Amino acid sequence: MMRKLWTVFRKEVLDNLRDRRTLLTVLVFGPLFGPVLYVGMMNLMTNKQLANLNQPLKLPVQGARYAPNLVEYLKQHNTDIQSAPADPRQAVKNGSVDVVLVIPKEYAAAFRAGQPAVVQLVMDQSKDSAQKNVERARNLLQSYGQEIAALRLLARGVDPRALAPLAVESVDVSTPQSRAVLILGFVPYFFLFAAIIGAFYLAIDVTAGERERGSLEPLLTTAVARSTLMSGKLAAVTVFSAVSLGLDVMALSWSQGLIPAAKLNIVVNFGWHTALAAFLLTVPFCLLIAALLTVVASFTRSYKEAQTWLSFIFILPMIPVFALIMFPTEPTLWMMWVPALSQDVLVTSLIKGAALSGAFVAISVSSTLALGLLLAWLATWLYCREQVLG
Amino acid sequence: MIAVRNLSKQFGAVRAVQAVDFTAADSRITGLLGANGAGKSTTLRIISTVLKPDSGTVMVDDSDVRVDSLGARRQLGVLPHASGLYPRLTAMENIRYYGELNGLEGTALSQRIAELVELLEMQEFANRPAKGFSQGQRIKVALARVLVHRPKNLVLDEPTNGLDVMAIRALRTIIRRLRDRGHCLLFSSHVMQEVAALCDDIIIIAHGRIVARGTPDEIRQHTGETDLEEAFMKAVGESGVTP
Repeated sequence: MMRKLWTVFRKEVLDNLRDRRTLLTVLVFGPLFGPVLYVGMMNLMTNKQLANLNQPLKLPVQGARYAPNLVEYLKQHNTDIQSAPADPRQAVKNGSVDVVLVIPKEYAAAFRAGQPAVVQLVMDQSKDSAQKNVERARNLLQSYGQEIAALRLLARGVDPRALAPLAVESVDVSTPQSRAVLILGFVPYFFLFAAIIGAFYLAIDVTAGERERGSLEPLLTTAVARSTLMSGKLAAVTVFSAVSLGLDVMALSWSQGLIPAAKLNIVVNFGWHTALAAFLLTVPFCLLIAALLTVVASFTRSYKEAQTWLSFIFILPMIPVFALIMFPTEPTLWMMWVPALSQDVLVTSLIKGAALSGAFVAISVSSTLALGLLLAWLATWLYCREQVLG
Repeated sequence: MIAVRNLSKQFGAVRAVQAVDFTAADSRITGLLGANGAGKSTTLRIISTVLKPDSGTVMVDDSDVRVDSLGARRQLGVLPHASGLYPRLTAMENIRYYGELNGLEGTALSQRIAELVELLEMQEFANRPAKGFSQGQRIKVALARVLVHRPKNLVLDEPTNGLDVMAIRALRTIIRRLRDRGHCLLFSSHVMQEVAALCDDIIIIAHGRIVARGTPDEIRQHTGETDLEEAFMKAVGESGVTP
């Protein structure tokens, strides 16, 4: 029986290695989709963030001549003063500038009289990309105001510190490694994605595809038990899934050197030790997904129909991942019983550098494997019915 | 020997096969003749253990398909309606896969494949992927797959479908040669001439029941018709050619 299982396994592997689409999916698209997206996004984001901070703030000012000192202060603090558009409100509304500082001509009189001198920041709160510049302008104006206030108090013989009864300090206990999770939060999903897509075409090919080609009926007339045939097929699907996952983990481990981690003040801890652990934590999911895809594909009438149904399965492991991003919680025991969620939680902890509980790992691995074996049994049972011929 | 005993099979409300009972003997070519949808394929699928009978059974040599389907399949070579080759595998790889599945290995298998390539004249395309094969080439590979483990009993479902005259003649020669070596051959067809030209025994099936059986001569005598086609029409209960 083992020899025949091996025969079926080898044939399915050879046969599918000759299919260019399957090969591209398993060896290239599946493993590289996550890392490429991730490295690309990270570099884009950090470049944009850092570029903004170093560049001078471009600030159109209307009525600059009413407040020469303020304008001089802004210039000294990395601001590029520009002439204001004729209609600041309209200009901000249609997005040609992010923010405009309007200084009314009453400014000088109010300032001299020691009254609050009104200045206006014309901005559009609904425009997200402008908020950074608005914030910078507001901060500059506030610090100018504080400086003037301190000078006025000093002139009256009052210690300016009287205006600051509280000194609030933020103490950030996150480590550079734990901050990495903000960025690496999607990595567990990339792994699950690679596992699914590695199994995808093979699961269809060995079920609906075989039936559509007409090769199923002659296969069933050979002197091999149907359970052996299905076991060989499932083994091939599982191995393709695991290969795709393995390549994905390696690609991600290798790509960590391409991420500007230092600029973001984080440490991406994804060396090969972590990579191996992440692979071992996720690989039980390969059997589960191989069996699940095979079971679903067994119900379909054609290759096309199978593709449609199987596409929905990509969404399944996304649900726990998004749930965790929206409601971040500490790992708890019940999560370990839920496949996809347990791998997500454990790999996230791994990247954080947190210690993994042995009991958690044991439950995650055994519950995922148990469900995988149950689905494999179901796939075999479906294969043994005579309706399998469709 | 394939012994079909009182076989019945129903799909929903459709009675595909009803109380079908016949024996295909060794060293004989037995033809299962009937119109499309008469129940030929269902009968052959039950014999090849792909379908299970509702009642009755089939003995393949001494294996009962209901009890020991694996044992029955060991002594069977089945060419189903669709040849069903793997398009990305070569002719040789297709044959080798079935050889291994049926328990052959090593040099014995390689020798057997070489033998079949010669017997069926497949040298020209033996190492090409099956994807671009003509119908004739496909049937040859499928037949080689059936023969690879030297099964005693052969079940062929409309094997000549889509073949040209030359290929049909070659196939008939092979079938006769196998009979002369003592094999039991059971094949189905809806073409009268083919059955008449080849078979030692004919079983005519209509609406899931056997309506006539015997050698070609016996059927002619039984129905009182000299022309086998007329005999067939009479046997299945349709009116002959109207004058």
